[in-house]
Amino acid sequence: MTGYTPKFSRKRRSILQGLGALGLGLTFLPRNSLSEEEKKLNFYNWDTYIGETTLADFEKATGIEVKMDLFADNDELFAKLKAGNPGYDVICPTNDNLERMIKANMVTPLDHAKLPNFKNLDPVFQDAAFDPGRKHSVPYLWGTVGVGFRKSKVEGTVDSWKVLFEDDKYAGRIALLGDAKVVIGSALKYLGQSLNSTDPAMLKKVEELLIAGKKNVKVYADDNGQDLLASGDVDLTMEYNGDILQVMAEDDDISYVVPTEGAEMWQDCLAIPTGAPRPENAHAFINFIMDPEVEAGIAKTVQYGTPNAEAKKLMDKAYLENPAIFPPAEVVAKCEPALYLGEDVTKMRDETWTRVQAA
Amino acid sequence: MDSWRGNLRVFWTLFTPGTFWLLVFFLIPLAGLFQDSFSDKISITETAFTGTFANYVRAFDTVYLTIIWKSIWISAVATAFCLLLAYPIAFGICFAPARWKPLLLLLVILPFWINLLIRTYALIAVFRSQGYLNLVLGWIGLGPFEMLYNNGAVIMGLVYVYMPFMVLPLYATIERLDRSFLEASLDLGGSQVQTFFKVTLPLTMPGIITGIILVFIPCLGSFLTPDMLGGANAIMIGNVIERQFKAANDYPFGSALSFLLMYVTFGALALRAYFASRSKGVDV
Amino acid sequence: MAQTLKPGSGPLDYGSRTWLKLLFAAIFVALYAPIFTLIAFSFNTDKRGVIWRGFTLDNYVKAWNNDALQEALLNSLAIAFIATIIATIIGAMVALLLWRFRFPMKAAYEGVMALPIVIPEICMGVSLLLFFINTGMMEWSVGMPWPLNLSNIVIAHVAFCFPFVAVVVRSRLIGFNRQLEEASKDLGASEWQTFWNVIVPFMMPGLVAGALLAFTLSLDDFVITFFTSGPETVTFPVKVYSLVRRGVSPEINAASTVLIVITVVATVIAMKLQAPTKTGEG
Repeated sequence: MTGYTPKFSRKRRSILQGLGALGLGLTFLPRNSLSEEEKKLNFYNWDTYIGETTLADFEKATGIEVKMDLFADNDELFAKLKAGNPGYDVICPTNDNLERMIKANMVTPLDHAKLPNFKNLDPVFQDAAFDPGRKHSVPYLWGTVGVGFRKSKVEGTVDSWKVLFEDDKYAGRIALLGDAKVVIGSALKYLGQSLNSTDPAMLKKVEELLIAGKKNVKVYADDNGQDLLASGDVDLTMEYNGDILQVMAEDDDISYVVPTEGAEMWQDCLAIPTGAPRPENAHAFINFIMDPEVEAGIAKTVQYGTPNAEAKKLMDKAYLENPAIFPPAEVVAKCEPALYLGEDVTKMRDETWTRVQAA
Repeated sequence: MDSWRGNLRVFWTLFTPGTFWLLVFFLIPLAGLFQDSFSDKISITETAFTGTFANYVRAFDTVYLTIIWKSIWISAVATAFCLLLAYPIAFGICFAPARWKPLLLLLVILPFWINLLIRTYALIAVFRSQGYLNLVLGWIGLGPFEMLYNNGAVIMGLVYVYMPFMVLPLYATIERLDRSFLEASLDLGGSQVQTFFKVTLPLTMPGIITGIILVFIPCLGSFLTPDMLGGANAIMIGNVIERQFKAANDYPFGSALSFLLMYVTFGALALRAYFASRSKGVDV
Repeated sequence: MAQTLKPGSGPLDYGSRTWLKLLFAAIFVALYAPIFTLIAFSFNTDKRGVIWRGFTLDNYVKAWNNDALQEALLNSLAIAFIATIIATIIGAMVALLLWRFRFPMKAAYEGVMALPIVIPEICMGVSLLLFFINTGMMEWSVGMPWPLNLSNIVIAHVAFCFPFVAVVVRSRLIGFNRQLEEASKDLGASEWQTFWNVIVPFMMPGLVAGALLAFTLSLDDFVITFFTSGPETVTFPVKVYSLVRRGVSPEINAASTVLIVITVVATVIAMKLQAPTKTGEG
C-alpha cells in the first residue's frame, strides 16, 4: 500500500448519496496517487501523552514530520473515525475501544515484519485477550482507575471503593468520573463482581448503589477530577492514576490508591486506522515508539506504566517503586481489563447511567 | 407584502441562495439521520432502515420525559434572565451617544469571542468554593458558599453563554425605534413606566420574540454547560443526545431524540408564523 | 423623575440616566470578572492554572512558540471571517424574501429555515460528517491547499449561521415603513437604487447585529467543527477542547488574552479611521 487510498465505509446511505450527488451536481477530482509516501504522519493522541522530544527525535531519525492532533476521550476518537478516516495514520485507543474498532474493521492489521522493536515488550504485553496475537495493535502505556484523595481531609487509610460509593462521612466532597463504563465497572468491583459483568440483576444493584450514594457526590467530573482535588473543591475523586500523579508532584497532601476490591486496569494501544494515508510511515513510527530509549522518555514525562521491559531498565527507582504506577501485586491480581461487551450491553449501561443521573 | 408573482426576478434572486444552501448542506445531510431515527442498529457501525418507531417509543420512557421537562424549565429560566439583563444593555447601547455605540456593542460581544470552554473554566475559577467570589466574601465575614455544581450554576452558565443571542436582536430592533412614538406618549401625559410598557415594549416585541427563540432553543440542546457546571443531578436532554452519538454509539435513538426536540420546536414556530400571517397590522 | 428639558437630560435621553449607567456598569462587571480572571491566570506560574503561584511571562512565550495553536487560531479566524460574509449576505436575502413576499407554503418555509437553529448541534455535526464523507467532499478537501481545505467547515458554518442572521435581520425589517420604498420609486428610483439607498441603510443595524452573531457563532463553534474537520484543519475551539478537558493550561489563557487585545486594538483603530459620520448608525 503506497498510494493514498482512503477507504471510507460505503454503507446503506443510498438516499443520502443519491440526493447528495444530485444536489451537488459536481464531481470531485480524484486524488493523484503518489508513488511514494510523503514525509508526513498524522498522529491522533491524548493530550499530555507523549515525551517532550519524542516527535522531534522521530523527525530527526526518519525525516518524517509528525502532526499530532488530540482527542479528549475514546468516544470522541470513535465518533470521529466511525464514518471514515479523515486522514489519520496512527491512533491511540484504549483496549476496550480498540476491541470495538477491530470488530468494526476500523483498524488495519499490522505488519509485524516492520516492527522489530516489538521484542522489547514485556512478554505479558506481547499478547492480549482483546487483540489475540497483537495483530492490530501494540501497547503504549497502561494504568489503573482508583481513588485520588487529600490525605489531611480523610480519616484513616483509604483502601476501598466504599469511600466513594457509600460513605456519608464524605458527603459533598466526592467527585466521580462522568464515564458510564468506568463508574459502573468500579461499582461492580466494589460489589465483588467482575467489572465486565453483564448480569442485569447485578446492574440493577449497581444502579441502586449509585443512586443511593448520589447524595454524597458533588459532581461527575469529566476527567478533571485531579483539578478539583488540587483546588480543594473535592477531597476524594475517582480518577486515572497518571492524572493524580501529575498533581501529586505539586501537592504533597494528595495521594492515590487502587482499592483492594480491584479496579479497571487499562491499556492504551497504538494502531493504524483503516484508510490511513501513510501506513509505511505509521509502521516506522510505531516501531520507533517501542525503542527502549524513546519509550523511557515518554514514561518519564507522562508517569504512566510502560509495557516495555527494556525501557523499564532505563527508569529510576522513584518511578519503578511508585505504588501509584505499579500497585502491589495482590491488588494487581484483583484488577482486570474492561472488555468490549457488545452493543446491547453498551445500551443497557447507558440507560442505567441515564437513570442514575436523572434520579 | 407583495405576491411572489408580482416580481419574479426579485423573488427568485432572493429565494435561490438560501434555499439552495439549506437544501444541500442541511436538509439532505439530515435526511440520513432522519432515516436513522426509523432504523435498527445491526452492527457497531451500521444501521438498517426498518421503518420502526421503537426509537421514538423509547424516548417516551419516564426517565427521558423527566429529563426533557427539566431541560425545558432550566432553559426557560435562563432565557428569562437573559432577557432581563439584555434588555437594559441593548437599551443602554441604543440610547448612548452615537460615537460610543460601536465600542459598547463590541464590549458586550467581546467576552463571547473567547472560547466557550475557557470562559466556563474562568467562571469556575470565580465561583468555586475556594474561588475569588468566596475569597472576597470571606473578607467581609461571609461564606464560603457552594455556588457551583447545581442547577443554579447551570442557569448562570447558560446566561453567560447565550447572552449575545438576546442582546443582538434586541439591539437591532431598539436601534431606530421610532422615538416620536415615545415622545408622543410622554407628551400626552404617560409616565416613563407607562410609556415603557405600553409603547416601547410592544414596539420592540419582534426583537424580544426573536431573542427568546435564539436563546431558549439552543439552551434546550446544550450539553457542555450542564456537563461542566452541573452537579450530580444536572443532566439535560442535550447530554443524553450527545451520549447517543458518542459513548452509547446509538445513532437511531440519538436521531429520534433530536428529531422529537425538533418536531416540538418546529411546530411551535410554524404555529407562530401561521397566526402572525393571519393577524393583520403588524406582521410579526 | 424630573422631566426638565435641559439639553442632555431630555425625557428620552436614557443614556444619561444614572440608574441605567449603574445597571450597565454592574452587568459589565459581571461579564468581565471571569475575563479578567482569565487574563490574570495567563501570568500564573502554576501550570494547571488552579492556584496562584507567581507571576511569569513564560506562557506568552510558549503560546508564541506553539505553532499548532497559532495555526488553529488562524484557521478559526479565516473560517469565521469567510463564513460571516457569506452567511450575512444569504441571511439578509432570506430575511428580505420573507419580509417582502407572500408565497405558497410560506409558514412551512419559515419553519424549515429555522431548523438549523432548532436542531441539536451534534445531530447537525454528525449528519454533515456523513454527508461530506459519502459525497467524497471530505476526501476532496483534505488534499486542497490552505485555505481551500477549510471549505467543508466554512460550508457547515454558513449552514448554521445564516438562519440566525435571517431571523435577526427580519425582526429589524418589521419596523420598516414601506411608504419610504414607494416614495423612492415614485421619485423615479429603480428597484436596485431603492434597495441600495433606502432599504439597506434601514437594515444596517440588523446586518451589523446579524454579522456579529454569525461571527460569534462561527468563532466559537466546537461541535459541528469537530465533526467536519480533519487532521490538517484543526480550529481553535477543537484544539482548546482537546487541551482543556484535562484542565486549562495558562498557555491557552495567554493565547486568549492576545486574542482579546488584538480584537480591542483592531476595533479602536477601525473606529478612529472611520469618520464619525457613520451611515446606518442612527
